[in-house]
Amino acid sequence: MTKTFTQNDVIRYVYHETSAKETKEIEKALLCDAKLEEIYKEVLSMKADLNKAKKVPSDKVINSILNYSKSLNLPSNK
Amino acid sequence: MEKYKISDSQLVSLYKNGNEEAFEQLLTRHKSRVFTTIYLIVKDNYVAEDLLQETFVKVVRTIKEGRYNEEGKFLPWLMRIAHNMAIDYFRKEKRYPTIIMEDGSHVFNTLEFSEDSVESKQVRQDTHAKLRELIQELPESQKEVLMMRHYMEMSFQEIAENTGVSINTALGRMRYALINLRKKMKQFNIAYDQNIYPK
Repeated sequence: MTKTFTQNDVIRYVYHETSAKETKEIEKALLCDAKLEEIYKEVLSMKADLNKAKKVPSDKVINSILNYSKSLNLPSNK
Repeated sequence: MEKYKISDSQLVSLYKNGNEEAFEQLLTRHKSRVFTTIYLIVKDNYVAEDLLQETFVKVVRTIKEGRYNEEGKFLPWLMRIAHNMAIDYFRKEKRYPTIIMEDGSHVFNTLEFSEDSVESKQVRQDTHAKLRELIQELPESQKEVLMMRHYMEMSFQEIAENTGVSINTALGRMRYALINLRKKMKQFNIAYDQNIYPK
């Protein structure tokens, strides 16, 4: 018999927080529960969108950080 | 979480031994996550870049001065610094009221965001910018969980412990955040399409 899963379980699954046993059971449930599958696709799609929505800092600030790190290696002039 | 050939902790070890390329890899690996987290709090590109720089200056100094605690994980530590920097910015600007929870921790779910920047107005039509805008419009408790789970990569267990709620409550907040965002993005995309392709 296929176990019943909630939307919260699907979210844990998408964020890789289910145990190996739960993962297998959820994957089995997704095959025979169209509503659960729909929720899964929506959450997965939203997760992908959130990844794409990440902002990238400018090269200028990144170079400035890298230069700062390198500057701490320079021998003192004292 | 993304898998890398060399772990963060291996890169930190290499960096401690003077390997600057290892630091460059760490920075490249995590810059967007850190920057996005800060930006979602301060909502200003320039301030976010300043705070990103301050965050990594602290990281550099802590590691190079031998004060980095190797028992902890690098990413949660890095994200905590970034988060605290963003919160401190609000305290200094007096835009952020200091609220202490019963357990003594402070929350950022009462955060007041700054006014829309010129930049955000210019890119309003952009889908990703719109999504970031919608995240900021979420109820504070939902936004907090979403940021902690998605961008700060904290587990639901850690979020529950940090915010003083049960795992189920944290999961419920995440669920509503995702549902709300999905719904609003659909509305935005319909409106966006109608603007571009008027009937």
